[in-house]
Amino acid sequence: MVDPVELQRLLSRVALGDRRAFRSLYDATSASLFGVAIRILNRRDRAEEVIQDAFVNVWQRAATYSRATSQPMTWLTAIVRNRALDVLRSESARPVESLHDEEDGSIHETADERPDPLGLLERAVDETRIRDCLGDIQGPQRQCLALAYYHGLSHSEVAARLVAPIGSVKVWIRRGLARLKLCLDRPQ
Amino acid sequence: MNYDDPDLLDRLAAEYVFGSLPSRVRRRFERLRQRLPAAEEAVLDWERRLIPLSASVPSERPPARIWDAIDQRTGGAARRSSAGSWRSLWPVWGFAFGIVATLGVIRLFPDAMPIEAIVQDRGTLPQSYVGVLTDAQNNAVLLASSTRYGRLLSIKRLRPVQVPSGRVAVLWALPRDGAPFAVGIVPMAEKATLTLADTSEKLFFDVPRLAVSFETALPARGATPSPFVLTGHCVKLW
Repeated sequence: MVDPVELQRLLSRVALGDRRAFRSLYDATSASLFGVAIRILNRRDRAEEVIQDAFVNVWQRAATYSRATSQPMTWLTAIVRNRALDVLRSESARPVESLHDEEDGSIHETADERPDPLGLLERAVDETRIRDCLGDIQGPQRQCLALAYYHGLSHSEVAARLVAPIGSVKVWIRRGLARLKLCLDRPQ
Repeated sequence: MNYDDPDLLDRLAAEYVFGSLPSRVRRRFERLRQRLPAAEEAVLDWERRLIPLSASVPSERPPARIWDAIDQRTGGAARRSSAGSWRSLWPVWGFAFGIVATLGVIRLFPDAMPIEAIVQDRGTLPQSYVGVLTDAQNNAVLLASSTRYGRLLSIKRLRPVQVPSGRVAVLWALPRDGAPFAVGIVPMAEKATLTLADTSEKLFFDVPRLAVSFETALPARGATPSPFVLTGHCVKLW
């Protein structure tokens, strides 16, 4: 975990056009941010594009970073997550044309080799000591939270993945977020 | 939708940050957060709240070519941005050019127009050090100027500056080699003067850039500045 004060210092220097500070910032944070992008997009090439776009954005917007409102990693992760979610949404909205579908009647999909999102949520819950708060959110409800956050799936995509009514998915996510708010705002 | 309802804003911000909003709703909320400060605040709250969930995601080092591409894109972007900023600052540089032209005349015809004559004519020496500070959008916001041996820095505000409550705008000098040092608190008037700790020549001789940050008070010597909200070149004209 990189020292937030050091990251703040680097961002201040990047805002002044200091390329050496920009490189140090990239070295210190890109691995963790690339991990976040890969989990959402499930494609390395798309995740690489997202990291490129995100750091170009950081170079251009570093002067707008305010340490009064965000920790540096929170700010950087939000830039990467938002870019990755935008790419994901635009790709899922794009019609897929295949030359081979009519020939063999099969649908080609990229295999999902990402770690189980539920496992990531379990780890995060353990590390943030909020297990007792989410104790009564189990089964598909818990999986629904994990799929939305780590894989960036929308309500309808989560519903399709879990074979659950979309109305239920909306309620589960809303209830889960209310519970997370309660847990994560509690002083530890 | 009634966006005055804080509960609705909070729910939308939560799902926006969480990533579960469908594409159309996500785009609509993206526009909303840009024009409604309450929506932006709700987003920042949720980003802060949910960041611990990202900590469990395994890190993965991106291939080296990614940095090369970023380096190339930002290098080009920086050059373009630099050219753009020079164009957008024509009025300011026009002022600076006026001074240089006047001084050029003095150098070409030192007997015809000695510096003393200028002083007598204008009542003051022409400015020697000039700084133009711009915001993130390259808008010129502050013009700072001082005579070479003067201890007063004239500040002209070209655009309003929103200083957060309980903070002051602090002007920093960023030496070529060495740590930034606070020059003083910038008075928030259209025209103001700031008393310097030493002459401009001594303070700004090796300072190519100036910056402004918001601080709770004038920082002590050696303090690290908060993120800069304005930055710009500091030029010695004569």
